[in-house]
Amino acid sequence: MGMSRWFAVRKQLRPRERLVLGVASFLLPLLVWSLVSYVPWIWHPQVEVTDSGAVSYFKPGMLVDREVFDKELLAAREAGAAEPEGVPANPIYLPAPHQVAQAFYTAFTTEPKRRSEQWLHESLWESIQVIFWGFFLSSLFGVPLGILAGTYDLMSRLSEPFIEFFRYLPAPAFGALAVAILGIHHAPKIAIIFIGTFFQQVLVIANTTRKLDPALLEAAQTLGARRLSLLFRVVIPGIITDLYKDMRILLGWAWTYLIVAELIGTSSGITWFITQQARYKNFDNVFAAIMMIGIIGLTTDLLLAWLGRRMFPWQQAAARA
Amino acid sequence: MPISIRRLFAPLLGLLLGGASALASAEPLKIGYSDWPGWVAWEVGIEKGWFKEAGVEVSFEWFDYVASMDAFAAGQLDAVTMTNGDALVTGATGAKSVMILINDYSNGNDMVVGAPGIGSIKDLKGKKVGVEVGFVSHLLLLDGLKQNGMSESDVELVNVPTNETPQVLASGDVSAIVAWQPNSGMALKLVPGSKKIFSSADQPGLIYDVLAVSPESLAARKDDWTKVAKVWYRIVDYIKDPKTYDDAVQIMAARVGIEPDEYKSFIDGTKILTLDEAKGFFNKGEGYTSLYGSSKISDDFNVANKVYDEAQDIDSYIDPSITGAL
Repeated sequence: MGMSRWFAVRKQLRPRERLVLGVASFLLPLLVWSLVSYVPWIWHPQVEVTDSGAVSYFKPGMLVDREVFDKELLAAREAGAAEPEGVPANPIYLPAPHQVAQAFYTAFTTEPKRRSEQWLHESLWESIQVIFWGFFLSSLFGVPLGILAGTYDLMSRLSEPFIEFFRYLPAPAFGALAVAILGIHHAPKIAIIFIGTFFQQVLVIANTTRKLDPALLEAAQTLGARRLSLLFRVVIPGIITDLYKDMRILLGWAWTYLIVAELIGTSSGITWFITQQARYKNFDNVFAAIMMIGIIGLTTDLLLAWLGRRMFPWQQAAARA
Repeated sequence: MPISIRRLFAPLLGLLLGGASALASAEPLKIGYSDWPGWVAWEVGIEKGWFKEAGVEVSFEWFDYVASMDAFAAGQLDAVTMTNGDALVTGATGAKSVMILINDYSNGNDMVVGAPGIGSIKDLKGKKVGVEVGFVSHLLLLDGLKQNGMSESDVELVNVPTNETPQVLASGDVSAIVAWQPNSGMALKLVPGSKKIFSSADQPGLIYDVLAVSPESLAARKDDWTKVAKVWYRIVDYIKDPKTYDDAVQIMAARVGIEPDEYKSFIDGTKILTLDEAKGFFNKGEGYTSLYGSSKISDDFNVANKVYDEAQDIDSYIDPSITGAL
């Protein structure tokens, strides 16, 4: 026992230990972030001026590099003038955890100031719908095509070489074309998510389909299964659990395209909030919004994982056996 | 805003049907606008419901500036807010427009910001300057150099997207950057000891901000555009009136998502024009005090910098009749 139990190869730890480690995986980055933010001698490359002293361009609240501050301090001291005062600070790009937490809260509670403006949760909901439709449309075509390509060599050769080529083309590059054809509202954004997801989706699913144990197919054929029933009664049930896992990963993939997608056409959704707040250097708001996306993504994934366990109980049994 | 399947496919359907309905008179005028004080001002009219009162259906769409010009070029908008120079660029590269209204000219919001130790344009000799080449900032820099008896060959240009100029100045890799608000202000804030060494206040009329309408829409619905222009001057009055100034600032600040007090400084760097002032700038003339003259200078600049190849027919880009008739 001892240490070696913790590093046993491909053996699961006890449920309680796994939970604690999972929580720690979040706490560790938070700890690093807190240390950098709150312990004055860790990093803090700048100084926040509290008293400008005799330095003409210093203003209280201004952030200056420590070297600049030290230089001016020295100059003031040598000249016998009033010395500037300040406290160590981090650059504006790195707000402290409590600032981000506060921004997170106020972002949701701030009332829309204009009639045409939306609450933040409405903007988020808009983004979620863009993701949903992009992913839904991609799956509508991508899943059947992937399964067919993984089953029949004809479909594979007819589609995959082109898809292999197309998947390297950056989805955002189609932005202007999407706007020209689909207008300025949601449609071009959905199209970008579609382009970003679809081609990977076909290849991933085709690959998963190919991994199906050939013995199953041979047995079914020996027992007289015809083409369609082979597809629907053997192939699809055989890959369904892996397919579901693929889809979870691909949904995460779709999320990563959200920001570029929403930059196209009218400014909308959570991206509008992020880019606008970044433009005015309100980075606490920016990080809060980025975290919202992370939280939504993780929650969705946990939900889907739970749903998967309910839908495919045999997979659990197989894993334990 | 829920997205229905029908709305999703409506554009596709429109495409299949030839998209012919775009100019039908019942459609609201589609206008793209973006984050510049002179254009954010439109928000006052939208918020107050003045377009409806004037009897014109409009649909203002909020964009990033470049995305708004792209959407206009793609034929998705009836009009877009741009600078006079960018109207020429957009026109020369495929989407012709006609400037019917001057919102403002930049009065200090566009600036050259020098790194600590750089006190004037003359100090830039032989140094690197971060600027988005071929855009209005570049034009401003050239003018600043010229006013100081220098030329482009006296400095080394580093091509930088305008919204990244604050970070570039902070990196210390350049001695100055050229940008408009809010980027210019952010650069000043971000780099202590940095200084404004030249700005559009030193050359008013270098950059006019306008409403540019597609020629088709202008021909088909001139009456509606006249109504839009009338609403604009109602907005201008509301902003200029000290009694309602604060309310106007509040609406504008809410549009861009910052505090009203912070936004006031951006409005100050923008000279929003009264009707009489605008009429004056619509008169033909040479130099910066005429929209024609200023556009001619932009045109020369664009051709010289190979933004496009052929000089544009300035007169065809300007229609003073709507403003003139108010």
